Amino acid sequence: MFKQRLTLILLLAVLLFSTVSVNGQTVAPASEQDKFIAVIQSQDASRKEKNDACRHLSLIATKKAIPALVALLADEDMNHMARYALEVMPDNAVNDALLVALDQLDGKPLVGVMGSLGVRGETRAVRPMAKRLESPDPMIAQAAARALGKIGNARAVRALTQALPGSSGDTKLAVCEGLFRCAEGLGGAQAVEIYDQLRQLKIPHQVRAGGLRGAILAREGDLDLLRASLKSEDYILFSAAAQATLEMPGVRVTRALNAALKGGPADHQILILGILAKRGDAAALPAISAAAQQGDKAVRVAAIKAIAPIGAASAVGTLTALMKDGDTQIAQAAQASLAALPGDEVDSVVRAMLEEGDKETQLQALALIDLRRMANAASALFKAAKDDDADVRAASIRMLGDLQGAVQFSSLIDLLLEAQSAKEIRATERAMSATCTRDAQSTSGRVTIDRAVYGAVGAGGSADVTKKAQKLVEAGAQSIEASNANFGDPASGLVKQLRIEFTARGVKQVRTVKEGQRVTLLASVTPPAYVDALCAALRQTTPDKRRALLRVLRVAQGPQALEAVRGATKDADADVRAEAISIICAWSSVEVLPEVLTLTRTATDQKVKILALRGAIRLIPLQEVSVQEKLAGFKALLPLIKRTEEKRLLLGSLAVVPAPEALAMALSYMDDNTTKNEACFAAVAIAEKLVPRNRAAITEAMQKVLKTTSINSIKKRARQVLQKTRQ
Amino acid sequence: MSRNKSKLTRRAFLRSAAVAAVPMIVPATVFGRDGRVAPSERIILGGIGIGNRGSHDLRWMLPESDVQFVATCDPQKYRAQRVKDMVDTRYGNKDCKIYRNTPEFLAERTDIDALLVTTGDRWHALASILAMRAGKDVYSEKPSAMTVAEGRAVVETAKRYRRIYQTGTQRLSEGNFTFCNEMLRLGRLGEVHTVRAHIAPWDAAEMRHDWLPAQPLPSKDEVDWDAWLGPCPWRPYNAAYCQGRWRGHYDFHTSCIGEWGAHTFASCQVAMGAGKTAAIEYGYVPNESGDGMVTRFANGIKMVLERDMGKKLWRGSCGVRYEGPEGWVAAADGYSLPDVSDPAMLGDFKKLVNDYMARTQRPMSHVRNFLDCVKSRHETVANPEVMHYTMTTVHCANICMWLKRDLKYDPVKERFVNDPQADRFLSRAMRAPWII
Repeated sequence: MFKQRLTLILLLAVLLFSTVSVNGQTVAPASEQDKFIAVIQSQDASRKEKNDACRHLSLIATKKAIPALVALLADEDMNHMARYALEVMPDNAVNDALLVALDQLDGKPLVGVMGSLGVRGETRAVRPMAKRLESPDPMIAQAAARALGKIGNARAVRALTQALPGSSGDTKLAVCEGLFRCAEGLGGAQAVEIYDQLRQLKIPHQVRAGGLRGAILAREGDLDLLRASLKSEDYILFSAAAQATLEMPGVRVTRALNAALKGGPADHQILILGILAKRGDAAALPAISAAAQQGDKAVRVAAIKAIAPIGAASAVGTLTALMKDGDTQIAQAAQASLAALPGDEVDSVVRAMLEEGDKETQLQALALIDLRRMANAASALFKAAKDDDADVRAASIRMLGDLQGAVQFSSLIDLLLEAQSAKEIRATERAMSATCTRDAQSTSGRVTIDRAVYGAVGAGGSADVTKKAQKLVEAGAQSIEASNANFGDPASGLVKQLRIEFTARGVKQVRTVKEGQRVTLLASVTPPAYVDALCAALRQTTPDKRRALLRVLRVAQGPQALEAVRGATKDADADVRAEAISIICAWSSVEVLPEVLTLTRTATDQKVKILALRGAIRLIPLQEVSVQEKLAGFKALLPLIKRTEEKRLLLGSLAVVPAPEALAMALSYMDDNTTKNEACFAAVAIAEKLVPRNRAAITEAMQKVLKTTSINSIKKRARQVLQKTRQ
Repeated sequence: MSRNKSKLTRRAFLRSAAVAAVPMIVPATVFGRDGRVAPSERIILGGIGIGNRGSHDLRWMLPESDVQFVATCDPQKYRAQRVKDMVDTRYGNKDCKIYRNTPEFLAERTDIDALLVTTGDRWHALASILAMRAGKDVYSEKPSAMTVAEGRAVVETAKRYRRIYQTGTQRLSEGNFTFCNEMLRLGRLGEVHTVRAHIAPWDAAEMRHDWLPAQPLPSKDEVDWDAWLGPCPWRPYNAAYCQGRWRGHYDFHTSCIGEWGAHTFASCQVAMGAGKTAAIEYGYVPNESGDGMVTRFANGIKMVLERDMGKKLWRGSCGVRYEGPEGWVAAADGYSLPDVSDPAMLGDFKKLVNDYMARTQRPMSHVRNFLDCVKSRHETVANPEVMHYTMTTVHCANICMWLKRDLKYDPVKERFVNDPQADRFLSRAMRAPWII
């Protein structure tokens, strides 16, 4: 949905902007200066023409252009554009001209000229601008104050300081702004004096707090004001002081904050803890650890969170103890902090927790190993996988599979053979499957998308996305996500799935994944040693473990794995045989089709029959045979297809068989309410491949589709097919 | 607990992450209403220039339980009314107030703690500066400054009045982009040599200088045209400007480079630890957009501007891609997970995002990060300096395209190296009375 919307926006944007021609270049050649001067001096030139000339002059003007530009300053319409050119010119003659204008102008032109003189830092403007501080027009007085601040010399400071007591409202704030600017430029003792003046004014909080910040910073090594302010009961002043420390490196400042942490309201402590965390100074750790142990809960949580950014391993003990706190919020904060604390030392502590702790500690350690992704915990995990406690064993085994490179595959087999419960068998199976998938080696060779369909299950609408999927592969995608971002949204508001048929290493495969999941396309091969180990284990263990091994072999795939599964169909144990047969029916490559077809006829167990039927329907289109042979395969299955689910599967498979007979078969399911939409979808998909051949049959079929389905996306495609039949 | 966590889907994980990382509440005394204690811990929020994009931001903010939106200011009457209607509907009352003049609004509403600034680009810096001078914290949409000088002024004002400021580069608070940034920062890709930043695939770097045809000026009550123009050069009224068609005009926009570069440069620069500096070299490319321009940072990493019309680098908007000798990662809008050179990299997705949140104490929610910082007074992720330096790279890239030559820039002096003509682009005279 998002992708569609984005595409629409991009399209509209391209259309919109493609109709607009760029009007003139940004930078004109320097040789055109005379032309632009003539334009701004012309009585006949329009305001637009003069504006453009000033804009060009802003980039190329020399001293020669100054008189013409200055002449525009008194013109309220052109004052701005004249300054637009003048303000950025490096020539000092501009200042001379602006100073002259300063005495002659009033209103907005004067405000503009003062602004430009401020930007240019012209000290000669201080005296005349100081007079403007007394202007009855607030706009002029405020502009003068800000400009004086930009210039920022001692004379400007005096003028602004003198103006401060008599000013009020926004003008007072502008004078303060001017003084701030002066202090920032001057620094040192002069700055201290200005900031001290500002912080003691009875004016809005931002000025007082800004003044205090400046006063603390300007004092540099002298921390007395900082220490005193950190004790202030006025939160505005306290927080200004605390914030200022973010700009003050050094352990002395950290110590001042540590001292302020003791006592004081919770609000203050929380703010200091956040700042200590941001500073990252290990000298804060003892004070933070103390705050984490006791006191106000919000303060404790803040303290615990502050430990991770400092990243000191010495805090591990504190955090592990806090993980056992009775308050869930405290315990969770401690776990999160410990999980984020970097360093091998922390890893060692976590491993020791797993090896030596009680059950609760071990489970905490396993959680941390997961959060920290500790591949270096393999041996501890392996040991814990043989723990006396079943929960610890299962969690450890699962973790071994989750962590890449944590354990040898053969060790997982050993764990399976030693498993004592169904829970452990499941955990080991999951770990082995994950390892097979992860360690499968990509092989070279082209991947071809044979067909891809993205849409809702059932009657929600779907789209043929074969071309899009192929483009993704050609762009280098090793896997494809079933998402609207990739394929648009053919069924808004419904959960969709991606069914993708592809050929990799010459082997046809089919995968179906839900929205949000990925299909891995690269032909990949499970390491042969893994398959060897699985096959060997299959011969020496109990039925429940053999079934688990078979399921792992299904993940591993490949000829050797298939042979092992086939062998298991003759296992002495009935459950193992059933598992093997169901795996054969679900096998992803087409070489199992003969035995699956046999099962459709011979199986006595209804469940097996259905699985085989489904497998056959899925695999028939993947064969490298003629269309007629595929159709014959489907026709042979028709007497067996009774249930709606299999009918829908059949229609999905028929959709990729471009033959009039397939179209006719699809039509035969349109009158059934439970299959009509799938039938319509299949008919349209087949017709799209057949057209412009078989016009009469296609026309009839598409007209029936239009009458039958209510899904707009299918109707739209049917109309497009009909249109092609008329061409 | 670990079992539950390990079963979390990515979406659920990010949802929980956004909630879990919210810091502790500091009472409203922090908000600086001159010692007055608010009746609740709510942040009193106002808006300046809220239009379409701003409405999205506002929709993210209104559901936050500690936000109370009270007033909006806009020179366009219908937009102000639209915001009022939206807010009043949300709260079930008629309390949202409308203002038309920004200085008057700021002077009168001393109760407001923070402002959402979502004007057109031309007003972002000016409105933010005026608001911060008035003691307000600011969430400003991007691109947040029209020139380097404007960006510098935002930085100085925020420091001067110790204001909290966040620019709307929300991808800095999204899991996929954060994962990519952390992969780079932690050296998981080896020594990264190249980052690629998406620029908007429409429009051009060369800007329009024409005026749309003059139309009769509406009454000031409907549209205060002088205020709409703000610090920009005067031009006659045309309704199209007020309907968003100011984009592409030099006076009002920062080109296709700024349109998405404000986001993607920010991601790249923060990832490579260059959030407080700008690129030092810009290589001109003879095309209309800057596509393929190579910029270099002092750390040796090159950032390449990419239009990516062929969709080879990304599958969505505002993409970034980081390339090193040990692999690459990429993210763009609409991804459920980042693209990676090796699927095994994603095994650490949760850990890297979690660690980032623990280390920075920032949630995976840009709006929430701002609101938390309003309370805690911590630095936001898209703070004024990050905004200023990433916009500086945007501006310099634009200037490179406009001058049609390679440029070198000194991020400390904030001047080009031996190029006085390029320096002339670094600021623009502002129109009175809108001079900062």
